[in-house]
Amino acid sequence: MLAVNSLCVDVSSQRLLDDISFTLKPGECLCIVGESGSGKTTLLKTLLGLMPFSQGQISYQFAEEDCQLNPGHQYLGLPGVSWVMQNPLAALNPLQPVGRAVAESLYHKSLSKQKEAERVAAAFRKVELSPELARRLPSQLSIGQAQRVCIARALVCLPEVIIFDEPLSALDAVVQKQIAWVIDGIKTAHRLSYLFVTHDLGFADAYADKILLLRDGCVEAYQPVEEFFSAPTSDYGAELIEAARILGSLDAPAAMAPVLLEASA
Amino acid sequence: MTDIETLPSVYEGSDGAELTALRRFLIRTGIGIMVFLGLYAMALLLTPYDPNTADFLSRLQSPGAAHWLGTDHLGRDVATRIIYGAGWSVGLALVISVCGAVIGVLIGLCAGAGPQWFDRLSMRTTDSFFAFPELIAAIAISGILGPSTGNMVLALVMVSWMRYARLTRSLTLVLNQKDFIVQARLNRLPFWLILWRHFLPNLRLGLLVLWTNMWSRTILSISGLSFLGFGVQPPQAEWGAMLVDGKAYMLTAPYLMIFPGLAVLITVLALNLIGDQLRDHIQKPVD
Repeated sequence: MLAVNSLCVDVSSQRLLDDISFTLKPGECLCIVGESGSGKTTLLKTLLGLMPFSQGQISYQFAEEDCQLNPGHQYLGLPGVSWVMQNPLAALNPLQPVGRAVAESLYHKSLSKQKEAERVAAAFRKVELSPELARRLPSQLSIGQAQRVCIARALVCLPEVIIFDEPLSALDAVVQKQIAWVIDGIKTAHRLSYLFVTHDLGFADAYADKILLLRDGCVEAYQPVEEFFSAPTSDYGAELIEAARILGSLDAPAAMAPVLLEASA
Repeated sequence: MTDIETLPSVYEGSDGAELTALRRFLIRTGIGIMVFLGLYAMALLLTPYDPNTADFLSRLQSPGAAHWLGTDHLGRDVATRIIYGAGWSVGLALVISVCGAVIGVLIGLCAGAGPQWFDRLSMRTTDSFFAFPELIAAIAISGILGPSTGNMVLALVMVSWMRYARLTRSLTLVLNQKDFIVQARLNRLPFWLILWRHFLPNLRLGLLVLWTNMWSRTILSISGLSFLGFGVQPPQAEWGAMLVDGKAYMLTAPYLMIFPGLAVLITVLALNLIGDQLRDHIQKPVD
């Protein structure tokens, strides 16, 4: 699906990302974890083609065609890749009805008005929103609804990879659960691959297949998720897991919760 | 989980209330302007005098029943001339400020959202236009081209677009960082469509404030230029031109200057107050 090979990004002679390599298989969810400033957003922007990179290779293998990004170039609007941003209210034009915002992703498909409206309504249904909300402005939606609209916008052009930039961190806990559920449901229903930036190790534990831990622009750990939590290869990773357990965003390891295990067995 | 979309929207929050207050203000202002325009049209229809026909038998009459605001040195009714003069002063100022706005906004949008070289080029041009004081530059331009109404319009447009360009550019640069603009670029929308759909609607309130301000400034500029003889030419009734005509009779017939002066004062004041109110309304951020 996506293969990244020793990717380096320099901005004004400062190395922001150094030797990043990973692969994403179809239907897989890769969580990118790391502290602020570790280069997560830079990595996403580079993968989207928004930011030129200096060395390495990025290649997408889509169902219909392959797509190879070359160093030093900007690529706008890679087909088959869409993006869901962190703050849904900043991601939507405050003066544009949300249905129009979703329809804009279909601009280059040159569909008839009716076809376009059908696609938008279908995307709204996929994220469990009533298509009637399409006429509303972002300020007339709740933040959870706005984030669903953003996911619908990412889905409407039928991508194969969706890149999520902390889509849950602007939401409160209840809405977070609902949106996480929607995001996971869509992935299984449409066989999508996810790249997921998050601070929430609990989410990563529940939904991710692999974890890429970044620190200061370098890969600190790149492991399957079970391995990451049971046998972290880096001290920093272990520290993060410990911190998440203390804060309660991550369940205690199985050995510490025997009652839970018995109940589910 | 499923019935989340049937929940009432959060529109009734502070954000929505702010918007409706602004809308109410705009509606009220609009009604006020319509009433004013209606009165103006009625006055145009009802006045029995021609603004430009001399009547030497009734020259320099004081305000009275026949001539509410008196007559000037050629016997023309001052009230009628002020009413017709509004067309020149306010109407021409409207045309000029709209032309300046269109040019300035276009340049500002392209500078803020377009390529870097255009930004540098247009902003240095703007700076050099700013280097000349407005009225003096306008006098120089209309002096070189010859005094006439058309040349004055050209001169005033040439000195008025820079403010719009500056404001538009700075607002555009802020918007440029927003995620929805990035998304529009990712969707590969044509440049003009991004400007039209995403930038312009989000700039409109700031521009509206500047525009009301510039409109009233332009009224002053037109009157000033006409007063100096560079603008609207006699015998056309224009407020600034009327002031010059009345200057010779300032001591014997002061109303010749007082009433046109009051007309300028009240119009400019009203427009500035509208602009101030508008700014107060939108400065509480509607984000």
